[in-house]
Amino acid sequence: MIELFHVYKQYQPPQWALSDISLKVRSGDFYFITGPSGSGKTTLLKIIFRELPPSQGQIVINGVNILKIPSHRIHELRRTMGIVFQDFRLLFHRTVFDNVAIPLQVLGEPRKEIRRRVFNTLRMLNLHQKMWDLPSRLSYGEQQRVAIARAIVNNPKILLADEPTGNLDPELAFEIITLFKEINKQGATVIIGSHDRELIRHFGDRILFLQKGKLIGKDAP
Amino acid sequence: MWQYRARNIFSVTIICLSFLIVGVFLSLSNNLQHIARELSTNMVVTFFLDKAATAAEIKNIEQKVLASPLFSGVKVVGAEEARDRFQKNFPDLKDILASLKINPFPPSLEARLKDMAPASREVANFVQDVRRMKGVEDVQFNQDWVDKMQSLSRLAKAVGFFLGGILMLASFFIISNVIKLNVIARKNEIEILRLVGATNVFIRIPFLFEGIAMGMMGSMVSLVFLLLAIKLFPVYVGSLGVLQQLLNFRYLSLFQALGLVAAGGGIGCLGSLSSVSKFLKT
Repeated sequence: MIELFHVYKQYQPPQWALSDISLKVRSGDFYFITGPSGSGKTTLLKIIFRELPPSQGQIVINGVNILKIPSHRIHELRRTMGIVFQDFRLLFHRTVFDNVAIPLQVLGEPRKEIRRRVFNTLRMLNLHQKMWDLPSRLSYGEQQRVAIARAIVNNPKILLADEPTGNLDPELAFEIITLFKEINKQGATVIIGSHDRELIRHFGDRILFLQKGKLIGKDAP
Repeated sequence: MWQYRARNIFSVTIICLSFLIVGVFLSLSNNLQHIARELSTNMVVTFFLDKAATAAEIKNIEQKVLASPLFSGVKVVGAEEARDRFQKNFPDLKDILASLKINPFPPSLEARLKDMAPASREVANFVQDVRRMKGVEDVQFNQDWVDKMQSLSRLAKAVGFFLGGILMLASFFIISNVIKLNVIARKNEIEILRLVGATNVFIRIPFLFEGIAMGMMGSMVSLVFLLLAIKLFPVYVGSLGVLQQLLNFRYLSLFQALGLVAAGGGIGCLGSLSSVSKFLKT
């Protein structure tokens, strides 16, 4: 379960990137966070991932206050999560295979297992034929799928995705969200930041609306 | 390492130069120590005898020397034998000697010191005692040379370690800065590794290996250059006469060579540890 208690984030005074956000996401939930650009979607996801510290407030994940985890143990939290960054953050001097393999190498998985899981994940995203290409030779949409593959390859318990379909055509975007739904059905909590109304209408059973850093509404069945 | 080769080659070169300086001084010190050892093992005290000394007086001196625990043996060298020896050692001066009507060489008594060279003060006191005996005209004792050689050897070693120490400190900062540049160049990669759950140790290990490899490579290359320098120095400089023996560089012992390589690895390791740690804290 992910719980946020009165979370605030300020980059530069006097504006607040996030203001008094309190929410509870149960394990196995599938959430969309939506809102216009600059509403705080990315900041909220980064705070949940502890890439950014909040200015105020507390974040509790599965009973652990993540702000109290010392920096040398933060890897334990991140190993349970997968994240798709808006800017992909791929290593452009490494192949697609190497990029996707990183989370498994970090876990110390055997080479054979890494090969198997990376191949299966890339096949799921229809990228297996470009496994040995450098990301710079891929299209924007393909690079985005590599970033998704890296986020899901280690079967995370929590999957965070920041605009994961931003550069994909509608058909592929639907396929990707369907894949996220599949991962969710297997027990993972999924939170997607998106402003794609069509996708949200089609898949969004739980939606958080942000505006100017404030949570202005929740839509849940 | 290959990715940032120019920077790494520069770093290895600096490390190599630092260790080369230490190596040259170590080698020079080895040679001076060797000379000091040679001098002390072959050390002879020569008691020049009065030409008018009687056989009884000579016998008396010989017995006094033999009774001392400092000496291993005594040899009486007559005036004729001394002249023959001179002619053999300095054949160019044979004619001058022949033109002299008298034999200028006094008879002498050569007393060989034991291998385990005793404290020079003890020998000096004994020599003074013998000098006062009847029949002894003068004494030649080269303990001073042994002391000087040993002091020079210690000085060479100290200078080597001082200069080398400064340069090694510089190497440490250079390695740490080179690795810091490599870390900054791979900032993106490190950030991604941290975000997917890599531990600091996991991130640090490749940089550690890089630092150790650079340090060891630098020191090993310096050993090769030192060997070349020792082989080529006499060829290039030619004969140096008396200085030849002093500047006859000796290569490092296996222990010293391994020590330098280990020191290189250690400096590389410390340099990378310090730079990566600083980066991981931020």
